Amino acid sequence: MDPTDAALLAAWRRGDAEALGQLVGRYKRPLFSFLHRFASDPGQADEWFQETWVRAIRHMNLFRQRNFSGWLFRIAHNLIIDQARRRKPDGSLDAPLPDSGIFLGDTIPAATLSPALEAGGRDLGRQIEAAVNALPLEQREVFWLRMDSGLPFKEIARLQRTSVNTALARMQYALEKLRKALGPAYRELQETAP
Amino acid sequence: MTPARLEHLLLLEQSGELTPTRRRALDAELAANPDARRLCDELRGLARAIPPAPGPSPDAAARIAARLATAARPRPAFHPAWKPALAAAAALALLLGIQLFRAGSPSSETQLARSETPAANDSSTADDWTDPLADDFTELENLLTALSAEDPFGFAEL
Repeated sequence: MDPTDAALLAAWRRGDAEALGQLVGRYKRPLFSFLHRFASDPGQADEWFQETWVRAIRHMNLFRQRNFSGWLFRIAHNLIIDQARRRKPDGSLDAPLPDSGIFLGDTIPAATLSPALEAGGRDLGRQIEAAVNALPLEQREVFWLRMDSGLPFKEIARLQRTSVNTALARMQYALEKLRKALGPAYRELQETAP
Repeated sequence: MTPARLEHLLLLEQSGELTPTRRRALDAELAANPDARRLCDELRGLARAIPPAPGPSPDAAARIAARLATAARPRPAFHPAWKPALAAAAALALLLGIQLFRAGSPSSETQLARSETPAANDSSTADDWTDPLADDFTELENLLTALSAEDPFGFAEL
């Protein structure tokens, strides 16, 4: 754990109320952003955000990772997976298909892609969001963790309990689908680059 | 270099996970291949085009602290030393109860003598079997009440 994170946590346990606020503030943007991408509404994202912190601190005795960020994202990932499993009770998205190395979740077709894109309107950012939301769960998770929360592939792979190459492959699947879904709009992206 | 391999290296470059050897290969490809530069620009543009997510509610930290405080409410402490103490007290109470029961119950000879007088037997049987038991329970209750009042081991919380 980052020594400053540990110091803040220790200070809060000694009764310093502001220490927890500082600790939460340190990770709020990447963590909340990640949860927000999978929540059905901002209220649920807020609830998950609080629940992640409560679980992280309450179960510190189980904390074995070196970085606190990884611990927080691991709990957030579990919350999202639990929610997804409640929605899809049959089959495991983590189950590899025989002889392929590809996971079941990577093969779920993006059935809602076109309506979601239409709902996105002409705003490129909204179109990207809508297209990503139509991706299979694992690909979506890699995409948001990398592009929005800024986690490296090594940490994403650890979260998904897979290899760095699989995490990278999921990202590439996601990008390929985005290209197809966005069509000419995707090519506009190179114009927005500095 | 294939487009897939190029994209693989570009993704690692963006995440800061590219090894020096691979970086040299990527730089060479970007210098020589316009398609590689276009792909690089697309990926950078994609990251910039994503709308930022909103933040958590301003009082999120306070709510988290409140939930943690609720969760950390002190529960009755569990001391394994209670168990033998409780067992000893219960055994003592039981022994005392048995002793009092034996002392108060009539002898077998008395019972035999009473069985020969049916009229007396009917009325006395109920007394013989209710009074000693009531006394025993009273003794036990008194003992437990005394223990609870002092409560040296926190029996009340059990």
